[in-house]
Amino acid sequence: MEKQQKKPLYLKLRPWLILAPTLIVTLGILYPFCQAIFYSFTNFSLKSSVWEFVGIKNWVEMLKSTDFWHSLWVTVKYTVATVGLEMLLGLLLALALNRKDNLFSRILKVVLIFPLMVSPVIATLLFKLMTNSSVGIIEKFLNLFGVYAFPWTADSSTALFSVVLIDLWVNTPFVLLLVLAGLQGLPKSPYESAMIDGGTAWFTFKTLTLPLLKPVLLIALIFRFCAAVQEFSIIYSTTKGGPGDTLMNLSLSAYQEAFTYSSIGTAVPRILVLWLIINFVSKKLVSAWLKSKSANAG
Amino acid sequence: MAGIRLKEITKTYGSVKALDQISLDIKNNEFFVIFGPAGAGKTSILNVIAGITDPDEGDVYFDEKNMNYVEPKDRDVAMVFENYALYPHKTVYENIASSMRTKMHRQPQEIIDQKVKEVAELLNITELLERQPAQASNGQRQRIALGRALVRNPNVFLMDEPLAHLDAKLRNFMRKELKSIQERLHSTTVYVTHDYTEAMSLGDRIAVVNEGKIVQTGTAGEVYEFPGTEFVAKLFGDCEINLIPGQVVQEQGKLYLKLPWENHRCLLPEDVARVLREKEVTTVDLGARSAAIEYFRTPEEGCIQGQIYTNEPLGNKVELVVKAEQAMIRFTVKVDEKFQIDEKIYLRFDMEKCLFFHSDTKEFLTRHQRQTVRGGRGNGRA
Amino acid sequence: MYQRKSKFERTAGIAGTILLVVYMIFSLFPLVWMVITSFKSDVDMYKTLFIFKPTLENFKNVLTTGNYVKAFTDNFIICAGAVLISVIVGVPAAYALARYQFKKKESVAFTILSFKFAPEILIIIPLFAIFQTLHLYDTYLGMIWIYQFIGLPLLIWVLRGYFEDIPVEMERAAELDGYSWWSVFFKMLIPLIRPGLVAAALLSFIFCWNNFTFGLMLCGFHIQTITVSALTYIATDTVHYGQMAVASLIAIAPEIILCLCIQKHLVRGLSFGAVKG
Repeated sequence: MEKQQKKPLYLKLRPWLILAPTLIVTLGILYPFCQAIFYSFTNFSLKSSVWEFVGIKNWVEMLKSTDFWHSLWVTVKYTVATVGLEMLLGLLLALALNRKDNLFSRILKVVLIFPLMVSPVIATLLFKLMTNSSVGIIEKFLNLFGVYAFPWTADSSTALFSVVLIDLWVNTPFVLLLVLAGLQGLPKSPYESAMIDGGTAWFTFKTLTLPLLKPVLLIALIFRFCAAVQEFSIIYSTTKGGPGDTLMNLSLSAYQEAFTYSSIGTAVPRILVLWLIINFVSKKLVSAWLKSKSANAG
Repeated sequence: MAGIRLKEITKTYGSVKALDQISLDIKNNEFFVIFGPAGAGKTSILNVIAGITDPDEGDVYFDEKNMNYVEPKDRDVAMVFENYALYPHKTVYENIASSMRTKMHRQPQEIIDQKVKEVAELLNITELLERQPAQASNGQRQRIALGRALVRNPNVFLMDEPLAHLDAKLRNFMRKELKSIQERLHSTTVYVTHDYTEAMSLGDRIAVVNEGKIVQTGTAGEVYEFPGTEFVAKLFGDCEINLIPGQVVQEQGKLYLKLPWENHRCLLPEDVARVLREKEVTTVDLGARSAAIEYFRTPEEGCIQGQIYTNEPLGNKVELVVKAEQAMIRFTVKVDEKFQIDEKIYLRFDMEKCLFFHSDTKEFLTRHQRQTVRGGRGNGRA
Repeated sequence: MYQRKSKFERTAGIAGTILLVVYMIFSLFPLVWMVITSFKSDVDMYKTLFIFKPTLENFKNVLTTGNYVKAFTDNFIICAGAVLISVIVGVPAAYALARYQFKKKESVAFTILSFKFAPEILIIIPLFAIFQTLHLYDTYLGMIWIYQFIGLPLLIWVLRGYFEDIPVEMERAAELDGYSWWSVFFKMLIPLIRPGLVAAALLSFIFCWNNFTFGLMLCGFHIQTITVSALTYIATDTVHYGQMAVASLIAIAPEIILCLCIQKHLVRGLSFGAVKG
């Protein structure tokens, strides 16, 4: 009889061969990524072809500059405001929508998703269309209450409110959609036994619904967090970070460094900080998600 | 048509040893049954034969040819999967015809049509042919899966619990059909089941598997009459074998078995006594199936006294559990013999029909040899 | 079982309805207003709100003058090309990640996922320099190349789930029936994941369609994406609000249609397969 054969090479390599196109394509993104890190230690500029190593100078200067800390603060404010409100609003809306099952609620479940499909830039366009001081309908509406020429994004006191509003309009449906799916997937039997035990509605919600929804809520939170913390489109298309530097978050300040001042070396550390934040928080959230998922399963 | 030989097959998943040094020699055209409790590794053995799983160690041979790492499609094997594994996007007809649509087994449309209809007829699923598998019941899906394998004429049929989801009547019918199909097709069949009646009535030989190891291989008669271990003995028979600890004592040159009832001892048959003496065994587990238990309603010589504890009808038989001091003894009686709960009953063990196991290793020691037993098929009595 | 509704439940019910109605207005009115404005002439814009004589003037202006139509077709070419590449690359990868056990499997999967969450600008800055040297700046090829990264993680993660939903035994059964690896893949697996594949591809298309940063920084003279082009309607401080509305309408319309097509798969797609709606 023949001896035992070795596993043929093509069988061993098959998964890697199938993955090969993706891996090659992936290199196309990993290469610039590594290059970006490399740039952060140089005085590379888009204007001149001559550059040299400057060590950690860019990093030190960034940490010493006040506008870095300011943009970090703007990033935090924007993220907390948008993500917090979207999660809360999305959850409440989903609960309200889930209570009813009639034609109205079924139509709502479809049409309320529309804004999610709209590009943030286009959302900004619609916002301008409505808040414009000469023809905007919201302006006209506010006039009824004696408010004239509400400044919206033009004033630093209302700018953040305005962009958060646009973000809410676009992204609340995301949370709504996910939570709704989570609610519809809830098991029936714990609710039946809770009803027999005679718990109040609030108690049932607190001890049953919320823990069961935790995985879905965490998924929504991960996606929303990672997007909000690096938000660029809405702020760029409304004020480019202004008025002044009111809305200059990390993304915009990096953009400004790189494309307005042509200084790549100082731009990259800002985004790397952003990337580190995303990495750190999303890892925590993902492990919390995995834990909550297995807790609910068992 | 091929014989199959597995040589020291080992497969580990993580830290779990699914298969541990499995060696099997399945003869050409044999109906070979792999039998064991759930999770024993039965399906893993089929997967190794089919080439679905590559073993970590060991060799698979079809006849003399080493099949390690030969891809499943090149092994010419037909398999019935336990969860059916039908193609949900194809009609039942196309599911059954699927193998004949491949480059490897391509057939002209008339032959396909004829074969599919023939198999559908046999399996009584003709009216389903144009439907989707999703519209079929579990029993019907199982027959479709069976049909997909039976249209072929492969080296080897592999069947993983192919009758498990059929109702009792259909199962009996299909059991007979499978046997006759196999005899007609002259193909090697490896059949996995956890149902001992299926194993005994279908298998030319049976391999009993537990925890990834082969515990015993033999004909139905062999595994029933000469189970290698207490574990195997417990698996066969619809009323579990009674295992009673006993002490071998010698009096006036004769060996007796002392059972855990006061002053209760039984004379051991000559051939049993000889083996026990040779092996110098002093304690044994007595294995007594229903057939080895005599029962009386009135006190008799050499009987132990007990009370009916439970009384469960099983079709044409009734399973009794009798409490005799600390021990519970179960056996079946004919249905027309009415016994009341708590009724007194007197039992005697027929040493000529009992099995003897080593009380430490739980391995088979000996039994009284009837002339006709060895080599013959068991009568399936349980 | 009959239970009297508690006071809390009744209050919650009423509050829920109010919240829904208010949110519905907040959410949908901008879209309604966009449609209304797009049919309004510049003169009517200042004078009336809802009652006016509808006109197609704005559509005519946007479609005939300026480069908005070109931006629309450019955007379409880039998005379609990008989605096509991500499908070709992503489907086999999703299969490999679903079916095979190999070392580093999960790290490969998570690296791919991390593209979705990495800040786009981080990649854009070096790419800007690379594109200049490779002459990919402001070309279809360059844009398609970078846009396919938008859809790739989505496709891989969503389709991985769809592949995992197919019992592996079915695949094995097909192999034993004599199908080659390729036939199993194309005749058995692809038909089964087709609904998921179509939905994921369309969702990738929407993601690409909406992207702003790549179009802003990596092209602009020969090629303009629709989001960048639409922004010019704000930047020029135009008084043509009607055209602004039309531009928005044209950008949004394809997305609403696609969204309705993939309704059933939306949750699964948007959550990258983590929530199976």
